[in-house]
Amino acid sequence: MKKIYIYILVILIVALLGYKSVYFKKLSAVKNAQKENFDFKAFVDSIYFKGILKSKKNIALTDLISLVQTNSEMAFKEHGNRLGIGNSAFFMIESTGKIFDIKDGVYTIADKKNGIIYIDTKYIFGNAIRDASGLVKLTDFKTNSQFNKVSESLNDIIRNEVIPKAIKTIKIGDSIAFSGAIKLRKNQNLFKDIIVIPSQIKLQ
Amino acid sequence: MTSTNLWNVLRQISVNVCISVGMTLVVLMAGIDLSVGSILGLSAAICAGLLKGGLSFESLDLFIGFTVLGGIIAAMLVGMALGLFNGWVITKFSIPPFVATLAMLTIGRGLTMLYTKGIPISNLGPNFEFIGSGWFLGIPVPVWISLVMVLIVVFLTNKTTFGRYIYAIGGNEKAAFLSGININKVKLAVYGIAGVMAAVGGVLVTSRLNSAQPNAGMSYELDSIAAVVIGGTSLSGGVGTVTGTVIGAIIIGVLNNGLVLLDVSPFWQQVVKGIVILLAVIIDKMNQKNK
Repeated sequence: MKKIYIYILVILIVALLGYKSVYFKKLSAVKNAQKENFDFKAFVDSIYFKGILKSKKNIALTDLISLVQTNSEMAFKEHGNRLGIGNSAFFMIESTGKIFDIKDGVYTIADKKNGIIYIDTKYIFGNAIRDASGLVKLTDFKTNSQFNKVSESLNDIIRNEVIPKAIKTIKIGDSIAFSGAIKLRKNQNLFKDIIVIPSQIKLQ
Repeated sequence: MTSTNLWNVLRQISVNVCISVGMTLVVLMAGIDLSVGSILGLSAAICAGLLKGGLSFESLDLFIGFTVLGGIIAAMLVGMALGLFNGWVITKFSIPPFVATLAMLTIGRGLTMLYTKGIPISNLGPNFEFIGSGWFLGIPVPVWISLVMVLIVVFLTNKTTFGRYIYAIGGNEKAAFLSGININKVKLAVYGIAGVMAAVGGVLVTSRLNSAQPNAGMSYELDSIAAVVIGGTSLSGGVGTVTGTVIGAIIIGVLNNGLVLLDVSPFWQQVVKGIVILLAVIIDKMNQKNK
C-alpha cells in the first residue's frame, strides 16, 4: 500500500516538473511573433551592406602598420575601435595579395608589403567585425544580449552568405583584394602572421 | 584576498566541485570517468539549444518551448543518459572504465560539435544568466548549487546503504559481490550520478557565460580527478570522502587564482598544478604502505 502512495507522489512531482518545464504553442504563431520583434537580420543587413561595405574609414594595412609603429596613440585614436578600456583594439583594414595556400577555410595570402596574412573564412565568430566597424554602440541596445546578438547576426551574414559566394571561384594562385577586422595591441611590434576576419573578399 | 576575490574563486570552483563530487563516487568505486568534460559540454549545449530554440514540429504546427527549469532538467537527463551508457558499457562488456569513458569523451565531444555545428549558442536570457552570475543571500548562486550537490552526495555516501555499497565495491569488489551486493546496478547508478553532476556543472558554465560553447568542459576531467586525488580519495578505491574532494577543489581553485594574481606564466601554472597532484598521489601511496 505504501508503494502506491510513493508512485502517486512520484507521478505528481514529474507532472509538476513537466508542467513548469515546457509550454506549447502553435509554430506559426511563434514564427509570426519573431517577425514582429526587433528584426536583427534587417538591422544587421543595413549595418553590413550600407555601413561596412560602403565605409570609407577602412585603412590600408600597410598604412596602419606604419602608423602603429610610429605613433600608436594616433593609430588607435583615429582608426581603432574597442569597448571599454584596454591595450588592444579592432581595426577595419583593407589590402591585396596572392593566395598561396588554402587549408581548413584559412586562406594564406602573400602580401607584397606586409608578408604572410591569414584570412579565416570558416571561424568567423566573436565581436571582431562588429567592434572594428565602429558602427554599433552598446548604448543603442537595451541589453548586452541584444548587443551581442548583433555580432552573431553580422557574423552569420558574412560566414553564411558573403564569404561562400566570394570564395566560390577563388583558388590558389589568384590575386584578391580583401577587407576585414584585425586586432592589434598598443605595444605591438611584431606584425607577422596577421589573422584577418574578413568582411569582404574580391577576386582581382 | 578580498571578500570579492574569495567569492569569485568560490564561484569559479563551483563547476569543478559539482563534477568532482560525482567523480569521487566513481573513484571510490575504483573506477574513473574521463568523459565528464564532454558530458558537460553536450548537456550544456542541449540545454542552451532547447532554451533558445525549443523543439519545432513543422508538420504538426507545434512548438515546444522550454523554461529555464525545463532546460536544466533536459541537461540533467542528457547527463544521466550518457553516464548510464558509460556504466552499461563498463558492466555489460567488462570494459575497463578508463577505455569506456575515453570513448565517451570523444563521442560526447563529437556530438556536441554536431549539435552546435561548432558555433556557440548565446543569449539565453537574464533568468538563465542569473544561475551563473546571480547572488542569493549575499552568496553567489553557483556556490549554493554546488553546496546542495555536495550535501546530496555526502548524504548518499554517509547515510545510505548505497553509499556503503560504493565503499565496499571500491575496497574489494569480489568480497562485495560475494556478500550479495548487485555490483552492476551500483556501478550503473554511480556513473549515472557522475553524468548528472557533470550536467549540473554544464548548466553553471553556460549560465555564467550566457552562452554554450562547443568546447566547454574540455580537460575539466583532469581538474576534477586532481581535486579528488588531492582531497585524499585513493585511486585504488574504497578510501576517501566527498568533503576531502571539496577541499581538493578549493586548493586547486585558490592555487589557480593565486598563481594568476602573482602573474605566474600559464605554463608554470600547469607545472605547479601537476606537481601538487603528484605530491598528493605520493602521499596517498605512502599512507597506504604505512597501513
